[in-house]
Amino acid sequence: MGSLIEVRDLSKTFKVSRRGKGIPGMVANLFVPRYEKRQAVKEVSFDIEEGEMVGFIGPNGAGKSTTIKMLSGILYPDSGSLRVAGYVPYRQRRDYVSKIGVVFGQKSQLQWDLPVIDSFELLKAIYRIPGEVYRRNLERYTEMLNMGGFLNQPVRQLSLGQRMRADIVAALLHSPRIVFFDEPTIGVDVVGKEVIRSFLRELNARDRLTMIFTTHDMQDIEKTCRRLLIIDGGSKVYDGSLEGIRAKYSAVRQLEVEFAESLTVLPMEHVTIQDLDAYKKRFLFESAQVEIQDLMNRLLSEYPVRDLNITEPAIEGIIRRIYGGEEV
Amino acid sequence: MRDNTLELIGLYMRTTVRSWFQYRVDALLRSVAVFLREAAGVIAIYFTLLKFDNLNGWGLQEMMFLYSLLFLTYGILIIFFTGLRDFGAMVRTGKFDRYILRPRGLLFQMIFVNADWFAAVGHGGLGILLFVITAGRVGIRWTPGTIVYYVLAVAGGVLIQGAVFLFLATLNIFLLETGSLKELLYYDTRKFAGYPISIFHKAIQCFMIYVVPMAFVNYFPAQFLLRKPDMAQFPEIFLYIPFAVGVGVYLLAYLFWRFGLRFYKSSGN
Repeated sequence: MGSLIEVRDLSKTFKVSRRGKGIPGMVANLFVPRYEKRQAVKEVSFDIEEGEMVGFIGPNGAGKSTTIKMLSGILYPDSGSLRVAGYVPYRQRRDYVSKIGVVFGQKSQLQWDLPVIDSFELLKAIYRIPGEVYRRNLERYTEMLNMGGFLNQPVRQLSLGQRMRADIVAALLHSPRIVFFDEPTIGVDVVGKEVIRSFLRELNARDRLTMIFTTHDMQDIEKTCRRLLIIDGGSKVYDGSLEGIRAKYSAVRQLEVEFAESLTVLPMEHVTIQDLDAYKKRFLFESAQVEIQDLMNRLLSEYPVRDLNITEPAIEGIIRRIYGGEEV
Repeated sequence: MRDNTLELIGLYMRTTVRSWFQYRVDALLRSVAVFLREAAGVIAIYFTLLKFDNLNGWGLQEMMFLYSLLFLTYGILIIFFTGLRDFGAMVRTGKFDRYILRPRGLLFQMIFVNADWFAAVGHGGLGILLFVITAGRVGIRWTPGTIVYYVLAVAGGVLIQGAVFLFLATLNIFLLETGSLKELLYYDTRKFAGYPISIFHKAIQCFMIYVVPMAFVNYFPAQFLLRKPDMAQFPEIFLYIPFAVGVGVYLLAYLFWRFGLRFYKSSGN
């Protein structure tokens, strides 16, 4: 048995029309259209196992949307192979899409003018969901997301957070095996985001539902995913755990120390010392060159230390550096 | 698994009716507005014709009968083809992605997922009204034979215009914006179809028979029932084939649609 999702050397190129300047250019383009090729996805490969929660990130235009659209069967790939849950998405569309759910944070699939429950009933018919399964899912999810109060309200009257919760349930009613989330918390307030994240974590833990997220909100990733796939310029640049990315990319670590008295610390090899205030100093060093244990022992034995604090560099900062094209 | 396609169609219909008629007074007024807008065009022609007595042998009542077919077919058409009429916007905004993600046929969804009921009530209502006024006065003998012919002709007319909508929708996949082409190929052609096509230049006649076959929506069916002398300049076979033309062009448009879908590119986020 292979993995739930198998992607091998997936590529996709778009033809982008290139126009000359001004009206002459437009006219010329009308008769002799000129195109240039833009490779959106370049030979990307990865596997995802059942029950994984994977964060799929990259800057705008990196190719993550294109990859997700190929995974969900919306786009045909140019080359490479793609197999999800035993299906080739773009060839077996109708059978395949009933096994997946997709949430677009920016594009609701609910009927704007009608009560939420009407959209759910319509989805029940579209997906041919058996009555019992439908009732069980609806009851369970609406309770978990505390949606009882607004099931009978028209979608246009809902707050963004309520609408997003309704959209997530809409994508889950037919018991999909894999769910794709595209910016699932965009525009939602802090409390609302936390409700959604803990709901998804619980769903993953209980049902082993496989979830793939694309988002620009690193908090979403940190709080839900264990695995990160970073794509930039159409290529995969990182595939591994959240902790792994810290080890791999964040060479520089920092230790903040508060001393009992104002003092001067003697210079140490490979360590940069910054004064924060009279008692506090920050020690910057590379984990490859300095063992944090050694540094701490040395400080504790030689100086009167009141407090010690190791700060991890934020994932967000690391990601920004990767996007910036830093050499690995 | 039990096939619930009919149940789904019913549910789609209920959903579109409820969406379009959310605000009852507004819905009523808008339907009336569409009705009046179209009726104004008919009234203008009515007064023009009062001056002329007839147009190539077509009297006032007969002209109105010709018109009724146009409105009636459009009223039915728009119940099923609103999704394709608005397909361009759906492609540009990426909303079409959602339909790809649902386990149903794409054309099936486009046909049933939306219906412009205001246009259906406005156009269809006017078509029925004109038919009721004129059907008994233009000398048609309504026998089982002519009734069957009439029903088939209406179905053919719906299919012909449906084919034009489907063709233009598919073109959207390649061109993204086809508004003016639709104006030219459909709405302008339909204005011409309000008159007996024998009054136009040969080039326009050919266009309406062989390119966008709107002549088979109302002129030839009306000729079959009315037998006006200006039919002499067209092959008689045209009287018998409106339904076949409808099925034929619709199939062609459907093949083009199947071909075009492969090139769907979606839109960026």
